[in-house]
Parts: sequence; structure tokens; C-alpha cells
Amino acid sequence: MEAKKIYLDYAATTPVDPEVVEAMIQCLGPDGDYANSSSSHFFGKSAKIHIEKARNQIAARIGAEVDSICFTSGATESDNMALIGTMNANQHRGRHLITSTLEHKAVLDTANALKDQGFEVTFVDHDAHGVISTQQLATAIRNDTVLVSIMHVNNETGVLQDLAVLGELCRERGVLFHVDAAQSVGKVPLNVADFSVDLVSLTAHKAYGPMGIGALYIRKGMKIAPMIYGGEQEWGYRSGTLATHQIAGFGKAFALADPDQEGPLLAARRDQLWSGLKVIEGVSLNGHATKRSPHILNVTFAGVEGESLRTSLADVAISAGSACNSDVPDPSHVLRGMGLSDALASSSLRFSVGRFTTETDIDYVLSRVREEVLRLRELASGAPDWTVS
Amino acid sequence: MDYEPEVKKRFLSPNRVKSFEEGIVGVVTGESSDRTLNVWVRFQVQVINGLIRAIRFNVYGCPYTVAAVDWAAEWLEGRETGALLDLGMIDRRKELGVPVDRLGKLLLIEDAAAACQKKLERLTTQDGN
Repeated sequence: MEAKKIYLDYAATTPVDPEVVEAMIQCLGPDGDYANSSSSHFFGKSAKIHIEKARNQIAARIGAEVDSICFTSGATESDNMALIGTMNANQHRGRHLITSTLEHKAVLDTANALKDQGFEVTFVDHDAHGVISTQQLATAIRNDTVLVSIMHVNNETGVLQDLAVLGELCRERGVLFHVDAAQSVGKVPLNVADFSVDLVSLTAHKAYGPMGIGALYIRKGMKIAPMIYGGEQEWGYRSGTLATHQIAGFGKAFALADPDQEGPLLAARRDQLWSGLKVIEGVSLNGHATKRSPHILNVTFAGVEGESLRTSLADVAISAGSACNSDVPDPSHVLRGMGLSDALASSSLRFSVGRFTTETDIDYVLSRVREEVLRLRELASGAPDWTVS
Repeated sequence: MDYEPEVKKRFLSPNRVKSFEEGIVGVVTGESSDRTLNVWVRFQVQVINGLIRAIRFNVYGCPYTVAAVDWAAEWLEGRETGALLDLGMIDRRKELGVPVDRLGKLLLIEDAAAACQKKLERLTTQDGN
């Protein structure tokens, strides 16, 4: 009998929804709308209908104007474009960028690359739960600050930042505001009309769409330098032939991703998981108790070595933190930034639930986690205090 | 991580984990620990007439470390106590497919075994006195 396998790594990526697959198939094959959407012939026009329908669906999901959605290859490219494009195009305003140490590597590494190019970068502080300090941000903004980049939902802890407050502060101080919202769509409400934001990074594959496609919301009137030249697609912001089938899937995925409908279901699975985990001795929650997305649960198992726990739970797809970091044995920079010791950060796991997670799945995972935590604690019986503090 | 089948097997089903019952004669304990490497190892060795009759261990560490400690315990059992200083984990690293950047973790296993040997020497000296 094949061993049971449970997927609880929806924050890393999601399976493509069958309805999304259907939308994509329409743009593939000799009978599909496969043509280059830039072509003026009938086939090209048919492909363009899919592109523009998707653009409308994506814009509608985040309350944006249709022509403010620029397609990219994913959130990493969108983050790069937002930071590099904005800083390069607005050097007359200054050369100072603000972000936080809790950001995804797509922002952190880009910020550091800009630093290497002579831009100044300030990393703002946060509290022990991973919530950005508005006061710190207000203090960090200078006359030459061009851009503030803060993520909406943290990909490791699920902590939600208060975009309305942060955005308002940026607007008051005349600073541009970028939000990495790769984890938000379909889980928490995200409407660009509700807060003062200039740029938002989006991706399809974390919302049951295909990999390799994303978008950057660019508020109208924003000045941003392109990074990819050659064809003037996407109003010159991002050249290259548009991937019709991926974009069609992206649009359908966002049309289906209703946080009002899905959010409570995700929260129920997450809470079921937490109820079962928190009764295990030495288990603690990382992140804020209430300001968090319904799909992510980050938990520390004190006294249990993280790589060993993940290996023991080979039948449960989970992550040490960001999936992009999972093969690297270093403890999570996010958890360390929140004050956890290296040992405790290494003893932490990210569980992320999704559309296809069932109550039975969670029951199974709870039983397996309990079993393996007990086994590994027995193995480490008598270990020094540093393993639990 | 893709572990060698032997590492997987030893990690998932290690032998000799439970401690000796209290009062068992000829048992010495040696341990080593390094917080920066996230590893702690403890051996309990029962020595009778210069031979390691039985061995138990506890370990906090990655699967490679657990597997290597399990191998070391198995290898030591039945040997003369001098083997405690002769584990040769550097050679063992390749056989278990342990990445070179984890070598420091394996060397802590040698340190724990050496700590047992040191205690045995001390006991012998005391007996001699």
C-alpha cells in the first residue's frame, strides 16, 4: 500500500486549480488560441482577448485600473522591477530606499544589490511578533527617501502588516510605497483603492495559477525604468512576448481567489492544526496571534532539531521557512530577526494550508507530528539547555 | 536533503538509544556539545575486563549526525576500550555521504567517545591508587 502523503506547503506553491487548467488549455494546441498576442492577424487578436480578459480579472481582484497591471515572470521579477526600476527612474528625488529585515530574499537581495550600486538602504525595525513599527518607519524616512518596500503577508510567519497605516505615512511624507503581496491573494483582502500604494508585486502560482507568471501593479503616473528591453510590450515597462496560456491561467486563478469565501475555510484548518499542536509540550507560535494570514502557521518545537523533524515527517510536505531557503541549513533570517535563538529558529516549521486541505489531512499530520516529536525528544533526552532556549 | 539509504535507515531506527538502568556496573558517560553546530552527543559505555560490552547514546542533531552516532555505537560494541579513540569519523563521512560542511558535527562524535575514554583512564588511575 502506498504511504499517505499530505501537502501542507501551500505558501511555497499551490497546485493549479482544474478550472485554471481548463482556461490554459484553451490557449494551447493547434486548435487553441496559441498565437502571439502582438500579431495583428485573426489568431493574434484571439490570443489578445485572453490576455485582456486576464488583465481585467487580475485588476478586479485587487481593485486596480486595468492598464495598471504589467505582466512579469513572477513576484521575484516584480520585486526587482519595483525596487530597481523605481530607484533608477527617480534619482532626481534621492537615492534612499527603506525596507525591513523580514522581507523575502527577492526584496532583501535586490536592496543589497542597489546598495552595492551606491544607493542607501535602511532596514526598519519590527516588534517581537514581526509587526513593522510605524514609529521606526516615520523616523527612517528622510528628505531623499524615494521608496519604502514592505511585504503584506510574511511568507514564513503569515504576519500581516497594516498597509493602510504604512501607506498613509508614506503618502504624507511624499515617499513611494511598494508592497510584496505574493502571499495575499485569495487569503486576505487586498484592494489598492483602500490604501496609498504605488506598486504591488503579484504572482499566480501561490493562488492556484501556473508558475512563471506574475504581475506588478504600477499606479498610473508612476515613473519606473524598464529592466527588459526589446519589443515595447506592457507599455515598454517589460518587453517580451506575452505567455498567453500562463496569463489566461493567472487571470482565472485570480477570478477564483475570493478571500471572503476561502479565508474562513483556511482559518478553520489552520486553527484545527494549532489546537492539536499547542498541547504538545515546548511548542510555541511564531508571529502575531491575530494579525496574520489564515493559511500560514509557524511553530517552534523546542528541543527538537529541525532538519531531523522535517526528515522524520517525510510524508508531510512542510517547510523550514521560505521554500527558497529550505535546502540551506542556516536558520530562518525572519525568525532570528524576531529574536529567536539559532537553535529555536532551526527547530521551527512552517505549515501552510490550502484549498484542498481536509480535516482528515490535519488529523493525520497531528498524529505524525506528535509521534515524531516524542521520538526525537527521547533521542535527545538529557540535551543541554541551549537546545530549548 | 537526499540522504544515503544507510543514513535514512539509521536515522529512522537507531539502536542503543535508551539509557542504562541505574546501578549497572562499569558504566561511564562522555558527552560533547557545540551550540554553533547545533549538535550534542552523549555515550554511555559499559566496560567489563577492558572490553566495551554494551553502549547507549543520546543525540541532538541532524539526520547525518544521528546516523553517524548510531554507526559509531554499533562499531564500538565488543571492541577494546582503545577503540574509543579510534572512531575515524573523517573516513566514515564519505561512506555515509555526509557533506563536507557537516564534518565538524561528526568530529563531535569522536569527542564524546574520547570523553568516555578519559573517564575510564581516570577510574583506572583511581583503582590503581
